[in-house]
Order: sequence, then C-alpha cells, then structure tokens
Amino acid sequence: MSDVILKVSHLKKYFRTGAGLLHAVDDVSFSVPGGSTIGVVGESGCGKSTLGRTVLRLNEPTDGSVLFEGQELIGASKKTLAKIRPQMQMIFQDPYASLNGRMTVQQLIAEPLIVNRVCRNRREIDQKVSEIMEVVGLSERLTYAYPHELDGGRRQRIGVARALVLDPKFIVCDEPVSALDVSIQAQILNLLMDLQEERNLTYMFITHDLSVVRHISSRIMVMYLGKCVEEADADRLFENPAHPYTQALLAAIPIPSVSSQHVHRTLLQGEVTSPVNPAPGCRFAQRCKYACEACRKEDIPLKEIEPGHFCACVREG
Amino acid sequence: MNNELLQVKNLSVQYKTDLETVYAVNDVSFSICEGETLGLVGETGAGKTTTALGIMGLLPKRTAHITGGSISYKGRELTELSKKELLGVRGKQISMIFQDPMTALNPVLTVGDQIGETLRLHNTENLSGEAIEKKVDEMLEMVGIPPERKKEYPYQFSGGMRQRVVIAIALICDPSLLIADEPTTALDVTIQAQILSMICDLQRKYGTAVIMITHDMGVVAETCDKVAIMYAGQIVEYGELKDIFTGDDHHPYTIGLFGSIPSLTKKYRRLTPIEGLMPDPTTLPAGCCFAERCSHCQEICRREKPQPVVSGSHMIRCHAADAHLAAASDFFEKDLSRG
Repeated sequence: MSDVILKVSHLKKYFRTGAGLLHAVDDVSFSVPGGSTIGVVGESGCGKSTLGRTVLRLNEPTDGSVLFEGQELIGASKKTLAKIRPQMQMIFQDPYASLNGRMTVQQLIAEPLIVNRVCRNRREIDQKVSEIMEVVGLSERLTYAYPHELDGGRRQRIGVARALVLDPKFIVCDEPVSALDVSIQAQILNLLMDLQEERNLTYMFITHDLSVVRHISSRIMVMYLGKCVEEADADRLFENPAHPYTQALLAAIPIPSVSSQHVHRTLLQGEVTSPVNPAPGCRFAQRCKYACEACRKEDIPLKEIEPGHFCACVREG
Repeated sequence: MNNELLQVKNLSVQYKTDLETVYAVNDVSFSICEGETLGLVGETGAGKTTTALGIMGLLPKRTAHITGGSISYKGRELTELSKKELLGVRGKQISMIFQDPMTALNPVLTVGDQIGETLRLHNTENLSGEAIEKKVDEMLEMVGIPPERKKEYPYQFSGGMRQRVVIAIALICDPSLLIADEPTTALDVTIQAQILSMICDLQRKYGTAVIMITHDMGVVAETCDKVAIMYAGQIVEYGELKDIFTGDDHHPYTIGLFGSIPSLTKKYRRLTPIEGLMPDPTTLPAGCCFAERCSHCQEICRREKPQPVVSGSHMIRCHAADAHLAAASDFFEKDLSRG
C-alpha cells in the first residue's frame, strides 16, 4: 500500500440555522492512500458534499484536522493554502451550472492556470490548454466554443480539464456523472479511471449511485445524517454489509436483470430525520428495525468488526 | 389475452419554429392492455416525454404538430377529439405523474385542495363537497400520508411525500391508464423503492395500466411487463420483458445501454459505453439513426432506414437483425401456413 496522502480526523462542520445547529458533518475520520479512490455514498442531505468541500477548506470547518501530505490545512494561512491548493482540485456536480456561460472553452480551462500564476506567457498557457483538451477528449475545433453550444458530456469534460490542468494529486469528484445520461456517464467514468491510472491520481468520489461507487472505488464510506456509519473495502461492503442502513440501501437498488425480479425486499420505512440539533444516539435508530434502548442512549462509535471493516452499530462487536 | 386499452400507431410529432424543425417522435407504435405495465426507456431527447404528452393531448399548441399516426384509446381516436371531449378523458381516464414533484404542485394551494381538484372537475357522480373531502382523506391514507396533513402546503413536505401527493392526484379518479414520467428520478434510492412498490401495489389493486417512462433499466426490470427502447424518436427495440433482458438478438443500442451500466455484482475494469452522441433531432440522418455510433454499421445502414423485424413478441429495428431474424420469421410463417 502506498503512503497516505490525505488524513482527516474528527472533522466537524455545523451550520447555524434559525432552528438551531445543523450538524452537516459530525465527527468524521478517514484516510486515503495515494493512487486510490475513496467513495462516499449516502442520500441527499447526509452531508457528503459538505464533507468534500470542507476537506478542501471551501467551507471553514467547525473542528477537526485535515492533513494533506502531512501538512495541516485547518488553520493554515492563506499563503500556505495557495501553495497547496493546486495539488487538490474539485470536479463539480452540475456541468450546466458550474461553467461560466460567457467564457469560451479555452478561457475556462486556462482560468486555473492564470489564477495560480503557473505559466510565464500566453504561449505556454495555450500550449497547456490544448494538451489537456486532448487528454480529456475534447476536439480542437471546440477551443473557442461556449458551454451552451456543448452537450452535458462535453461540458463535464471541461470540468475535468479544469481540475486536471494544474496537475493535481488529489481530486474531489462531487457527483460528476449524476446529471448525465447512462451512455455518457460511462464515457466519463472510463475517462476518470484512465486518468487515474496514467497520473496516479487520488480521488474522493461523492455519489448517491451505488453501482457507480462500487465500480470506481477501492474503499467506500457510507454516510447517514453527518455520521459515517460504515467504512470498508468496496467488495467487502457489497458482499457483507454490516450496518442496517447499508443493508437497506443495497436492498433498495433496482437490479437491471430479470432473474432478480419479484424477490421480496424489506423496504426501509420513513424518511431521513432532520440534522438540526440531532438527539444523541444512533441517527438511524428511528428507521431501524433492530433499534433498541442502547441505540438511543449515546452516540455509537465506529468499531473495527473485522480487519479494515468499520461499522457504527451496537449489534456489532 | 386482455383487452387492448391504448394503441399508438405510427405516431410522429414535430416541433416547428421559424428556424428549424425538430423531429421529436418518428413513426412510433405500441399498444398496452388493461392492467399491463409498459416501460418506455431511452436517454434525454429520445422522445419519451413527447410521446406521453401526445397521448395526454398536452403538447404545446403553437410549436408541436402531430404529423401522422393515430392514438386510439378504447377505440376512440384521441387526436381527433375536440378540446371539450378531451377534458373528459384527461385526468379522468388517463392521468399522468410528472417527473419533478418539486415543480409539479401549485405552491399556493393546500395539498388537500389540489388532490380534490381533479375530482371536482370530473364530478360525474355529483358527489357533495363532503363526499369529495372524504375521498381525499382516503387517497392520502392510501399513499401513506396522514389525512390531517391535507391542510398543509407543498413546501411543508419532503420530496418523497410530494411525489405521493402527485400520485394521489393522478389516481383519485380511478383512471384506467396512468402515465408515470420518470416518477422516481428526483428521489433517493430508498424513497424510490417505496414509491415504486406503492405504484405496483395500487396497480394490482385497481387494475390500472401503467406507462412507465424511465432511463433506469433496473426500474424497468422490477416493474414492467413490456418494454419499448427509444432512440432519436424511434422505438428501436420492443418486446416482452424477457425478450429485452434475456433474448438472443438485440439492437446494438440496447446492448450499448446495458454495457454502460456499472454492475453491482461483477467487477471489471472498464465499462463498454456507446461512443459518440445522439444525432441532432433537427437533422436526422437518411439511414439508421444509430449508424454513426454503431460498431456493426454497414453500407446499407447509412443509406436506408431499417424496417422493423418481428419475431414473435420481439421487434428490432436494425438491418443486421434483418438478415439474422429473416430466417426465423420465415420459419414462423411456414409454421403458421402448415398449421
């Protein structure tokens, strides 16, 4: 296993709202070895995007620490951050909203280079932009096109190019394919995996699509209401899910084959409760069929139930 | 065999503006029997929603034109009905669940009012106001919302709850055909499972036929009896669920669709997506619409539009299938003539 590139410990991000403190990310710890992919799954509102943004310090965290290649990001000065930031980039969810409609493809991809003062002159910038366009599969004739002239798949390729042009080591991918059609989605996923192989990139891949996350990740973290409820290697998690929420999540996926049809599933009842001022204890207790007294008393810590497999449930261990 | 409820034959719809013509639906045919579920599958811009709006008579008046074909519902031709006659059918006999529950509801009316509205408009049995309210309570209960909440407004409900309200609106008049346009796309997977199982339960209970529009092959496998796969405004493959999921012959687009879905059980390094993009619906190619992206493309594919090749309940619109299946259908005909 290669060295740990990112180590997050006890990260918390609370938002102040009219109703009280919203616990978006509540005491999450994980580490990512270089060249691997950690997948973060969960339903909308479970804090996965906030986690991704907080790791990059796009949100100021409430508490905790983020070590990137041994360097502490939380509390780091603007100057230090500016030095580290080119190493860590982000691909955003919606390629229709994340690109400035008044900039050409060329300008969009060159922007990170200009902001970070990487190139000495115009020629160097142009050179780099055309190189990266070829890498992500954008044809040269699109150099002066505007985003509205392009389809979703090509726009997301611009998003990938923008993240990649600074030659980062670590990329947070926040639902990069959820706005795309399946055939286009597969093209982008292949592109991301090829790039990872070529450049030894490390990804944090945030998504709600479980089949996508299994395909791309080496490790998977399942989040529920700001808490990490289970973390394991991708195959282990799918073959042997330990937390009741993970089990329910896996059972809910419709499988595209006829053989599995009409298998009776146990459906999860109810909906996600509010993350504002959550009661102590397991956040999932209200929807959990195994919930007992002990679940509602105090927060359940993550426990290692087998080597490399962590789960936060009183029934385990 | 069940009674045929809706038959769409050679339907074509175009959107015309001064600048261009969009060929949204081209020569689409399918039928649905009472109590059946038909899956209409395809990517963005394949013409799924346009087909649905055509059936509902909800196409935008100024730009959309039905340029050919027929839609017959219980023997009545829907495209020739007057506006008034159509009002009697729409919402009462055919109703629709819209894609996005966040925008499909009126934010300034309580959900109780919105559910009751359909029944008040189609009050053929002269129900009193009280009876309508009672029916609204029943509907809410059926979709799993406590009836006390009918005085609340849509913003007070979560996405899944709003979709339940939309379903209650669609089902209150006990329609015989329900068109569900991506009913779960905007929802989380656990909520999606709840909504899908609810639609299936209600369908079994009332014998409603459902047209399920979706892009998710998983949803199709779990809910549908028949499947139509649309590409660039055409149905490229059509058949019973088993034909599409287990049959031997497929349209190359169907194969590409399945290759694009990451598997939950098998682990492989790369997906096998379809390269390229869907053709521009304003300038469709002369030959097969899929030719540009097809790995089996021959010369004839670019020149001529493929005709549907039928074998039993299974239809494929592909030149390659032609050669392959011709033998089979020959055999089939011979078999018939002999028998």
